[in-house]
Amino acid sequence: MKDIYILGIETSCDETSASIVKNGNEEIATVVLSQIDIHKDFGGVVPEIASRHHVKNITIVIEECLEKANMEINQIDGIAVTYGPGLVGSLLVGVEAAKTLAYANNIPLIPVNHMSGHIYANELEKPLEFPLIALVISGGHTELIYMKDHYNFEKIGGTLDDAVGECYDKVARIVNVPYPGGPTIDRWAYEGKDTYSLPLPLNDDSYNFSFSGLKSAVINLVHNEKQRGNEIRKKDLAASFQNTVVEIITKKTMRALKDYQVNHLIIAGGVAANKVLRERLMELCQKENISFSCPSIQHCTDNAAMIAASGYHAYLLGHRADLTLNPQSSLELANQKVVNKEED
Amino acid sequence: MKVLYIDTTTSYLYTGIVVDGKLIVEIKKEFGKDLSRQALSKISDMIKQAKLKPTDIDKIMVVNGPGSFTGIRVGVTIAKTFAYTLKKEVITLLSLEAMAISNKNEKVFKVPIIDARRGYIYGAIYNQENIPVLKPQYISLEALKSATNHLLEDFEYISNQEFTDLKVESYNPNIEKIVNTLISREGTNPHAVNPVYLKQTEAEEKQNTEII
Ligand SMILES: Nc1ncnc2c1ncn2[C@@H]1O[C@H](COP(=O)(O)OP(=O)(O)OP(=O)(O)O)[C@@H](O)[C@H]1O
Ligand SMILES: [Mg+2]
Repeated sequence: MKDIYILGIETSCDETSASIVKNGNEEIATVVLSQIDIHKDFGGVVPEIASRHHVKNITIVIEECLEKANMEINQIDGIAVTYGPGLVGSLLVGVEAAKTLAYANNIPLIPVNHMSGHIYANELEKPLEFPLIALVISGGHTELIYMKDHYNFEKIGGTLDDAVGECYDKVARIVNVPYPGGPTIDRWAYEGKDTYSLPLPLNDDSYNFSFSGLKSAVINLVHNEKQRGNEIRKKDLAASFQNTVVEIITKKTMRALKDYQVNHLIIAGGVAANKVLRERLMELCQKENISFSCPSIQHCTDNAAMIAASGYHAYLLGHRADLTLNPQSSLELANQKVVNKEED
Repeated sequence: MKVLYIDTTTSYLYTGIVVDGKLIVEIKKEFGKDLSRQALSKISDMIKQAKLKPTDIDKIMVVNGPGSFTGIRVGVTIAKTFAYTLKKEVITLLSLEAMAISNKNEKVFKVPIIDARRGYIYGAIYNQENIPVLKPQYISLEALKSATNHLLEDFEYISNQEFTDLKVESYNPNIEKIVNTLISREGTNPHAVNPVYLKQTEAEEKQNTEII
């Protein structure tokens, strides 16, 4: 069979990224330009500033990617672009660039859901095996997805309020760690001891999550300790917080696997980079004879390689978009309708 | 020489193709919030209607601001990506400049304006040679009005929007004239084609006042 090369484009938040992936699993070249240092000064991503940087860098990032791959655009079989969910102004730049590239070079345009991209980051490690449960944990999402087959997403649980990554970043802020604080909390937790007691949030029979209560508990704890004139042991607090998060997530995930009689677990999204969570799930899966897959660390946070990997399967399924493709800031993954599916 | 003209800086799509100095097709239509969805699709329809292919275009002339931030980015992203991937040249111009050039020159001075909300506009004052005597800027409408005081009433406001208590000549771009006027302007490397917002983001403004 002929090799299929997909060019992925990702601009949903504060990373401008392009990547070429061969046959959905072989990363040929990826360029990620992060704006983290720019937004740090503002304590979070400023949408208008993010959009301004995307437009400035988009063609440079695409060119660099093609150069790194030593390829010409006419060797590309499909252009996959994130069209949601995300910041609408940021998404727009990637979508307009992808549409123009596709039009000017007469290449199929493939619409990709950002969360599907996070899930398919796993394909860059090893092929997905079905049925599977995907634990999607990122800056904006905390979901348990049941997948019977490629591109078949059934949401079985989600967060009722904050996403887990968001909670990490907010807790980090309480202890004065600059945005995004998740990775720092993770590092501290590894060095600290679980000495503070925090409640296990939404410890019920559902597959849903809730993290705003946990965030409030941390705020109260810090406040009370300060009132008593006690120094906050930041590393211990990080460890206590992280243990609580990991415990509730692993508990519900393992139960979903059991209830749905599924033997394959994959994790996805920025928080999937979390060291303790990866270790704990690996251990538990080993014990239960469940296969466990997680993306490499650089493929956990936003990147275009995962969009190209997801785009490959969308391409095989005939998903196509025309030049009216438009960003959708709150695009849902489950039961996603194919935009402008090509008539065969 | 085939030039593709693109302006999406307001709620309108203004696009056309000028071949050897003659306009052969154009679209001037208000799309409002639907502009980002429609722009490239309509441009591709127009290129087809002219019986051309994208590769036939020699130069792109794009309006890179000021105006709607989102609108500017639509046109600029299309133009720079098109030019980069097909190795074409890009000429940039300001929306206010396009408005001045299109004007019939019945008055000595031309004052193109675009609403920037909260009493502010993007505006400039051009003479009949289309040279700015007040450079394009983000300015309160009141301040611009005072700047027109010494123009001895021999001027007119130009806009494709309406303003209360202000008589404006409605803007109808003369794409052929704009392209022919600016065709020898130096081109820009596609990667370096960037929006001219004329205004900082609110977050930056706030940060600056805090530093002061
Ligand atoms: N090691 C880690 N431990 C915990 N959280 C982490 C770690 N590394 C990254 N994160 C968190 O991951 C989040 C970023 O992930 P990602 O880039 O997938 O989110 P996003 O793209 O903003 O949101 P979404 O994908 O839901 O639209 C941030 O909240 C960050 O703090
Ligand atoms: Mg993400």
